[in-house]
Amino acid sequence: MISVSHLTRRYGAQVAVDDVSFEVGKGEVVGFLGPNGAGKSTTLRILAGFLGPTSGSVKIAGHDVVEDSFEARRCVGYMPETAPLYPEMRVVEFLRFRAELKRVPRRDRVSWVDEAMGKAGVLDVASKRIAHLSKGYRQRVGLADAIVARPPLVILDEPTAGLDPNQIREARAVVRELGRDHTVVLSTHILGEVEACATRVLLIHHGKLLAEGPTETIRAMRAATAVELVVRGDAGGAEKALQGVPGVAKAAAAGPAGEVTRVVVTFAKKLGDAGRAEATERCVAAVVGAGLGVREVRPAGGSLEDVFASLTRDTGGGDPEGSPAAGRRVDDS
Amino acid sequence: MKSFWPIYKRELFAFFVTPLAWVLIVVFLVVQGMHFFLLVDHFARQPDIGGDETPLSAFFGNTVLLYLVLFVLVPPMTMRSFAEERRSGTIEMLMTAPVSSTAVVLAKYAAVLTTYVAMWLPTALYLVILGRTGELDWHAAASAYLGVLLVGAGYLSLGLCASALTRSQFLAMVWTALVLLVFFILGIGEFVTREGSAMHAVCEHVSVWAHMNDFATGIVDSRRLVFYGTLVVLPLFVATRAVDAWRWG
Repeated sequence: MISVSHLTRRYGAQVAVDDVSFEVGKGEVVGFLGPNGAGKSTTLRILAGFLGPTSGSVKIAGHDVVEDSFEARRCVGYMPETAPLYPEMRVVEFLRFRAELKRVPRRDRVSWVDEAMGKAGVLDVASKRIAHLSKGYRQRVGLADAIVARPPLVILDEPTAGLDPNQIREARAVVRELGRDHTVVLSTHILGEVEACATRVLLIHHGKLLAEGPTETIRAMRAATAVELVVRGDAGGAEKALQGVPGVAKAAAAGPAGEVTRVVVTFAKKLGDAGRAEATERCVAAVVGAGLGVREVRPAGGSLEDVFASLTRDTGGGDPEGSPAAGRRVDDS
Repeated sequence: MKSFWPIYKRELFAFFVTPLAWVLIVVFLVVQGMHFFLLVDHFARQPDIGGDETPLSAFFGNTVLLYLVLFVLVPPMTMRSFAEERRSGTIEMLMTAPVSSTAVVLAKYAAVLTTYVAMWLPTALYLVILGRTGELDWHAAASAYLGVLLVGAGYLSLGLCASALTRSQFLAMVWTALVLLVFFILGIGEFVTREGSAMHAVCEHVSVWAHMNDFATGIVDSRRLVFYGTLVVLPLFVATRAVDAWRWG
């Protein structure tokens, strides 16, 4: 569906996207993950045909975005960051305008607009002016706009930025739903977001593609560093019990000791995915065996920053062990 | 060019749902109405006035009011066209739809031109009034309206181009006003430069004042048609190139 090779984009002297290559197959839901300013938006804008590449080639469904821009744009439904809309229009007017602009045949226009509004969940505000909508609804109208012409490819730039937790959950559900009929590319700087929506992840940092792989890989990288146990009872006893568990490199109480204490357990580096899972079980057993209670077990240290830190450290020529097992590492040599 | 029609409709819609359009139209009609009233009053008091001066020629030519009105109306009419879309980011949505830059520019231009024509339309009533109460040279009236259309079309094209070249509505307005002012001042130059000099020829060629005087008395000079044709096409071309250039800028 998307084929990008050696894509570079400069703004004057600044390089926003630096020699990026990747492919996205039909039916995939791909998450672009990176901190703010990593080049995600620029890449998506190039895919959507709003910006031109400085060099390299981008093909959407076989159409080059420069030479065959018109056909390429017909295959894409794009929602820009913050979903800019015309505030003076009513939702249904706006979507009918967009449908006409995107060449939806006249006889299908009303039904396709209704369907898009249904999928995006904006039917109840159809006759409201966009200026009077809340941020969450505007975002959904942007989503409805992206899918109104039933494009094979939907590109969403930060689809949950600025939404409250409930709206985020709803938006993610809509994106997952979209994945059934469309190829979806979305960008985010929140790790949990790609885990919730995407089947594959592209990690981008400073304009370079750092790594790519299935979402499980990212999940594994996130779990790799440590787990956090919330223990009821004597914190010192828990630490002692955990340090004796095979596979555990370090166990230390984090935060004040009280009725319950958070204990962060760091595993030995050589453990694989399975090894870590077994070690986690042994940790729980050890704590319970010491007569203490386990209230919660959760992965720790798996923030986006940690993942990026481990990746960039590895690129520096260290041992390849923290690296994704199934994913493809992208070397910039 | 299929995208011309939806964009044209939306632009007109956007213009007429904002108070700006109605304020501009009201200001325009009040000024023109007063102008017409004063002229008719003036001519009615002097029944023995010279033959080549008619209310019609005085309404369209030989009056500073026409330019003042255009000078005040055109910049706010065109300033939003592109600058507002770029500021609010909606341009990103517009240009990622399957549309050509030419269609976008032409649709936006056609919309402001339609608004301009709609503004002038009620003034046709004045002609009806003049025709009912006295003799009216319909040929001269038609050529006067042609003049109004051409001058407006040229100015709006310049305004649209300014709007495509900047991200700020305010700057677009200021630039348009400045360019129109320069045109007007060059036109006045016709009366202060020495006849026969190159400067005089240039000033004469761009003088809206002189052009409208011709049109108002029924003279349609092909040089004027070429001049205004250029004044429409050239800025629109630049605007189209500017829209294309955002993609690479």
